[in-house]
Amino acid sequence: MMTWRRPSRRAARSEGPWAWLAAGSVATSLALLALLLGLLAVRGLGHFWPAEVSLVALDDGRQLAGWAVKESPLPGGDGRERLYRTGNRDLDGAIWDWVDLDEIREVSHPSDLVVLERRRWSEFIGRLEAVETESGERISGESAWPALERRLTALEQHRASIERLRHQVIRPLVLRLEAGEASELERERLSAAQEQVREQQAALPKDILILETVDGRQLRQPLTEVTDALQPNAMGVGEKVVAWSQGVWRFLSEGPRAANTAGGVWPAIFGTVLMVVLMSIFVTPFGVLAAVYLNEVAHQGRLTHWVRIGVRNLAGVPSIVYGVFGLGVFVYGIGGHLDDWFFSSSLPSPTFGTGGLLWASLTLALLTLPVVIVATEEGLARIPESQREGALALGATRFEMLTRIVLPMAMPAMLTGVILAVARAAGEVAPLMLVGVAKLAPQVPVDGEFPFLHLDRKFMHLGYHIFDAAFHGGDVQAAMPLIYATALLLVLVILVLNLTAIFLRHHLRSRHGTLSK
Amino acid sequence: MQHTPSPPPVRRHFRQTRDRLATALITAGGIGVIAAVMAIGVFLAVEVVPLFWSSSDAPRINLETLWLPQAYEGHEVPVHRWQPAMPEGGGEPRFGMLPLVWGTLEAAIWALVIAVPLALGAAAHSALFMSRRLRARLKPTLELMEAMPGVVIGFVAGLVLAPWLDDHLALGLTLLVMLPSGLLLAGGLWARLGARWRRPLPMGWAALWLLPWLLVCWFLSSWLSPVLEAWWFGGDLRAWLEVSLGLDYANRNAIIVGMAMGFAVMPSIYALAEDALSGVPKSLVEGAEALGATRWQSLWKVVLPAAGPGVLSAVMIGAGRAVGETMIVLMASGNTALMTASPLDGLRSMAASIAIELPEAVPGGTHYRLLLLAALLLFVFTFCVNTLAEVVRSRLRRRYRRMEGLG
Amino acid sequence: MTVMQETRSSPGAFIDFSPDVTSLEIRGFGLRYGDKPALANLSLRVPRHRVTAFIGPSGCGKSTLLRALNRLHDLNEDVTWEGTIRLEGQDIHAPEVAVAELRRRVGMVFQAPNPFPMSIYDNVAFGLRLQGRMPKRRVDDIVEWALRSSALWDEVKDRLRASAWSLSGGQQQRLVIARTLAVGPEVLLLDEPASALDPISTLKVEELIRNLKSSLTLVLVTHNMQQAARVSDYTAFLQDGELVEYAPTDTLFTNPRLARTENYITGRMA
Repeated sequence: MMTWRRPSRRAARSEGPWAWLAAGSVATSLALLALLLGLLAVRGLGHFWPAEVSLVALDDGRQLAGWAVKESPLPGGDGRERLYRTGNRDLDGAIWDWVDLDEIREVSHPSDLVVLERRRWSEFIGRLEAVETESGERISGESAWPALERRLTALEQHRASIERLRHQVIRPLVLRLEAGEASELERERLSAAQEQVREQQAALPKDILILETVDGRQLRQPLTEVTDALQPNAMGVGEKVVAWSQGVWRFLSEGPRAANTAGGVWPAIFGTVLMVVLMSIFVTPFGVLAAVYLNEVAHQGRLTHWVRIGVRNLAGVPSIVYGVFGLGVFVYGIGGHLDDWFFSSSLPSPTFGTGGLLWASLTLALLTLPVVIVATEEGLARIPESQREGALALGATRFEMLTRIVLPMAMPAMLTGVILAVARAAGEVAPLMLVGVAKLAPQVPVDGEFPFLHLDRKFMHLGYHIFDAAFHGGDVQAAMPLIYATALLLVLVILVLNLTAIFLRHHLRSRHGTLSK
Repeated sequence: MQHTPSPPPVRRHFRQTRDRLATALITAGGIGVIAAVMAIGVFLAVEVVPLFWSSSDAPRINLETLWLPQAYEGHEVPVHRWQPAMPEGGGEPRFGMLPLVWGTLEAAIWALVIAVPLALGAAAHSALFMSRRLRARLKPTLELMEAMPGVVIGFVAGLVLAPWLDDHLALGLTLLVMLPSGLLLAGGLWARLGARWRRPLPMGWAALWLLPWLLVCWFLSSWLSPVLEAWWFGGDLRAWLEVSLGLDYANRNAIIVGMAMGFAVMPSIYALAEDALSGVPKSLVEGAEALGATRWQSLWKVVLPAAGPGVLSAVMIGAGRAVGETMIVLMASGNTALMTASPLDGLRSMAASIAIELPEAVPGGTHYRLLLLAALLLFVFTFCVNTLAEVVRSRLRRRYRRMEGLG
Repeated sequence: MTVMQETRSSPGAFIDFSPDVTSLEIRGFGLRYGDKPALANLSLRVPRHRVTAFIGPSGCGKSTLLRALNRLHDLNEDVTWEGTIRLEGQDIHAPEVAVAELRRRVGMVFQAPNPFPMSIYDNVAFGLRLQGRMPKRRVDDIVEWALRSSALWDEVKDRLRASAWSLSGGQQQRLVIARTLAVGPEVLLLDEPASALDPISTLKVEELIRNLKSSLTLVLVTHNMQQAARVSDYTAFLQDGELVEYAPTDTLFTNPRLARTENYITGRMA
């Protein structure tokens, strides 16, 4: 009987120390990448999880409620101290509290602690004493919390219907009125609708929440200021998951609050996507045009060779240099002249002579042009010459050969190039700081007003939002969870785009493998 | 049997005209686009030139005031200073470019110090030792690492890593010692293992099974570091640094920048170096091994000499990226225009200066033009470095083809 | 003596068809790639509705000559040429000749089958659609006729929408011939059409070539002398970019006039 044998590894000699350091550098790099992604994922997603609120009793009898954020050694001494986020900025003037670990007597998680998200003054952490209705009736004790939940749901519906009325009825009418086209009937409808809104606003529940902090201070909180109420310690896992997904959804769909340290990132998502879409609209035709010229039309000589190297190298030029070019040429140069010619009525306040959506997307288009050109050229070079000759031999002109055979075959390569360009553009921040990103742009650059897409407006951007919240915000510690979440979002978008490009490229290679048999 | 009719002449004429028009359009468009991209250098040069023959307007600028130490009010000896905007009554703005150039180079050098060993080690390992399956997965993974946006890395470096290192300086130092020695220890143990134990831990997958080992090293270091700190540095590394070496530890410093930017440029160096190393014809490696060399010896004696220029060009491209990276330096460096050699001080790079100051600078003014000069320097530097690297690489490709022809 | 000199300067003169049976007339044609001469002073006439074969060792310029006949060299800017080529009496390099129309009239089939990445039907209809809008019925008819003419119809009639790349090599080559026939060429140039095929597919293609000559002028480049002997009526032997001998196929193979030709066809030459 025969047995299969492997080459013996005993004979393998040791490769010596350097080989192990080399293997270790791969492992270290992977570990660093995993660490970064893990950090973003845990901190970014964890923020929305309704964590248990701790009630901390100190040796001196003081009590506080909040979430532990971090620990560090006491400055200049033994022992450690812990940072709690306690909220209640309106009562305490701050939302943080450092506590010496040695002074903590007891930490508990009573289930009656409530967390209220409010429009101002950060969150409230404490206990709900009672709900005082308009008529002065007090609902207290066990039934206070269900009453609060019911009222919040009703309030939510009220707000939604007011918002609908404003958006769908009043706004178009106002626009027609401003344009001087409104008929008498429409005027009447407008005033009726405005009356309706006033009525509904007046009908908003005027209940007052009677709140008490854990150290016994009372607070009267109008219900209309509250956006969300939770009892994290009383929630089951299922409820927490629901609350978590609602939190994520609000983060994605709402605008920022409190100088970008709270709220959501919807305008930034919108700005990023819009800018990137505009950029692709600019970069795709021009990139493909240049690649087709270089590969199909130009004389393949020394000059083309050097031009090709030049284009390739432009991909390595720092992005800030493109930003400088965008500022100097697009904003001050072209934009300045446009203002002189067409918008002189509004000078000296510039229209196009300042950073804006158009200039930002043009600058990024220029920045990513080499990426698209190189990828498209690679795709074109991969198409066998016999396909081109086949088309020509059938009596196709060069234009027909290009549009009917060559470009369709190069399509996946072009797509790869554009996706890579988009992935690069979505993560670039430095050039945007020069050509049009805004710290806070309450209006998104698309609305119902003519010309609907406002190319001259500034816009928000996920990447810049991170930079701004991290370095210009007042309370960085408070903004950290949101920065993590924003960073995670940005990284996810870019990873997905890159994975698509990698997949496409792989697919492309295997398909052309079958062609050149 | 003439089945297909000859097409009408009008149609023929139309197609011909359309073809000519399209070709002309593609040519014009192609040249236009390429010219537009290339216009960047021209634009910067044109904007910078007036700086040097500017008429009477305010501060005189010439090569001397930019690059040599100047005697400013309030300083006894001439110094280099970049203070473009002085407070009210603070005197003339100070435009010494040297601190910015210094900061740029310092950041880039520290980034390379971190990235080059990691990238080249990883490239050598994946080109010669790693199993093919793992390698096919590793390359796209590191490509993803390359795509990580600078602003995210900068945020993590500036707001997470910097405070952490601030608190755990001793642990950081211990890790620096412990990780390599832990790896060497792993190698030594592996060599002593019997074949039965070695089989589930093949060299080709070392990159993966070393990960838990690194974790062990980490825990070991965090346990050892207070002991070591007490033993060698009197219990407080920072105080020791200040007293014995006279070094002041800034929260955001060149080391932090180097680590963050090293992380950012490592994948691109790796990708190019790996291409160069794995492009060396297999016959050469096999030849060396047939003569009894180990893999590592054949890497050192055969592959590296052949692929040397390619590896060099990979490092050059990495340097180009490090010099121009903006967001990481901006967020992790503290942006203080100092000229000290200490890696524990902050710095301010040209790119970061441009990003911060250009929106506020008056177009056409001296400050504006100086920032454009900085951009021009960045452009020229990266463009030259990249071109050189590209030329080296294309030479190398030709050389490989020749070697394969011989083999 | 005078005969010999004439032979050397223009050997093609040995078969001089009268102009009314000549399809292609090549006179004093030379071609260079940059500084490198590929063809020199070539003159011959290709008869209408016959199969003419070009044979010769690799690199002798036979494919180059074939590609010159429908101006495929136009794409390469290094190529320069001299002399004239006339199709039905008209100079193909004349400025008023539209090159796309010339290529429609002078179709070409290449060494390796090169179907486009689209369906079988679309491959055949590709050239037709270039010529302008046409009723769908008419396109269908022509596609069917072209596929029948290339003896492929029965094999593919049930899967016209399938990808052309799903066909076998021999089928692909016949598809390419069908595609060319569909645009109604007068001349069909075949550049070693069977060299990439297996023996059975080769026989099918050869049979197809014999059938097509009733309506087309065919020019066949081949390095396979048996093939030239089997299918062609006239054969031209080229060497080093020059025409050595041009004669009816029977004559050339049984009774070559020059020793160089004999050496080549009997295999005594490397």
